[in-house]
Amino acid sequence: MNIVPNRGAKISVKNGFRGTILEFLRNSLEKGCFDGILIPMRVPADDSYAWVLVRDKPFLDNANPIAPIVSVQGAKALTSLTRKGGGNFNVAAIMKPCDIRASIELSKLKQVNLEKITLISYDCPGTLEMSNYIENPEESEKIFGSLLDGDVWDDKFTKPICQICDNFSFPACDLHFALLGTENGSIYLIPGTEKGENILDDLGIEYSEDLSNWEKKVIELIKKKEKQKAEKFELVKPTVEGFDNLLKTFANCIGCHNCQSACPICYCRQCYFDSEVSKPNSDFILLRTSKRGGISFPLDRIMFHTGRMSHMSLSCVSCGVCTDACPVSIPVADIFSYVADKTQRTFEYKAGNSTEEPLPMREYRFDELLEIKELVKDADGQD
Amino acid sequence: MGEVKINNFKPKIVGYLCNWCTYAAADLAGASRLDIKPSINVIRVMCSSRIDQNLILTTFFGGADGILIAGCHPGDCHYDKGNYYARRRYALLKKVLETLKLDPERLQLSWISAAEGKRYATVVNEFTERIRKLGPNPINNNSYF
Repeated sequence: MNIVPNRGAKISVKNGFRGTILEFLRNSLEKGCFDGILIPMRVPADDSYAWVLVRDKPFLDNANPIAPIVSVQGAKALTSLTRKGGGNFNVAAIMKPCDIRASIELSKLKQVNLEKITLISYDCPGTLEMSNYIENPEESEKIFGSLLDGDVWDDKFTKPICQICDNFSFPACDLHFALLGTENGSIYLIPGTEKGENILDDLGIEYSEDLSNWEKKVIELIKKKEKQKAEKFELVKPTVEGFDNLLKTFANCIGCHNCQSACPICYCRQCYFDSEVSKPNSDFILLRTSKRGGISFPLDRIMFHTGRMSHMSLSCVSCGVCTDACPVSIPVADIFSYVADKTQRTFEYKAGNSTEEPLPMREYRFDELLEIKELVKDADGQD
Repeated sequence: MGEVKINNFKPKIVGYLCNWCTYAAADLAGASRLDIKPSINVIRVMCSSRIDQNLILTTFFGGADGILIAGCHPGDCHYDKGNYYARRRYALLKKVLETLKLDPERLQLSWISAAEGKRYATVVNEFTERIRKLGPNPINNNSYF
């Protein structure tokens, strides 16, 4: 959770959580708060979801604000929309907390323009694994439906990365649907920024309800997730430590770079690892074998992963699309989440937490990082 | 190939030296006829902040036994603040290597000004000794890296 909000509006639930959110979106579209709504919609083949920018109200009937899978990361859709600037239209984007965190990171990287975008999020129960969903969409919809309607969100069917996600509630968004902590069939709608407050004012929605009930439940769930996270990291640790273990973990890697192209943070138009610089000629490759006796192809698979870790882990929001994208089922997200946790701690930074915190690689302090001992000039080394 | 006896092991170290401070220091060390271990292969860069993480990883996975990045002291950067950014990048990469236990000791960042020829010799010799004790880069024994 970002900052603890203190008041919100109470909305009674009609047609489930999804129906209630859709009803709110329909109203706001009608009243002209937004010109368009970016929302997940089930594809015609019924086996996946796609982001659709909806302008006409009837189209919202097919939309599903709480999609059971992440096919494309929301921040990626938002990048496509606002890469060339915010434009003149007000767009609401209804996204998961991890989509919003990634959007915030991308806005700092100047890939997303949030000026005209209203970010709407909700308490996320987690998502299902893409491969399972595609195999049996109807069954998966049922599982997700019962998970969402359940009193306690049981995460045993969700993605492993969702099971250890402690950022499932109230990111730095404009409006937040507090699905947890409902009582008597109602949910809270919480404004997170002035923009959000203005929208609620325009719609004539009062927001003065006390949220302590919801807060209590969120904190309870965060504690549970933090525990699961610590346990998971203990399991990940031995699989990535040391040359041999790392090699074993990434042994199946086919070098397809799907994890990179699915990742919302890997925004570079040309990645170093796809560039000509990273493709040496045959003489050079043969030279590299002179010590090690042989070399395997595709080249530099471990280097690709370590390079990606050192480039994007500071902005990693642990959304898990990399694992979904991996054709050989390497738990990429668990590993990157583990590394990201370490690197973000080094700079006391939390990816996507707020728009104000600058990116660690964009700023510096004069007297920092002195614990790295070689950096300090040793007395006898001086002239 | 195979086991290399630590005693006979001559480490291969790549040194990325900043043009304005450390490269000049290396020049000075040479002109002053100081003893410098021949293990270091110097690559001159315009600023220590030129060193992208991928450059280090390419060197490391290419088989270098040690990598030295050296630049101006904080506050003395020719470009005003390049070395502060270099320090942050170094800390990030070091953390990644530490987390994966990929011999983070093989990577070093030092501040050596143009006047510190003696310090340049000391840093290079000490770093060489450290790498010699550490042994060859394990990547050189594995054809899958």
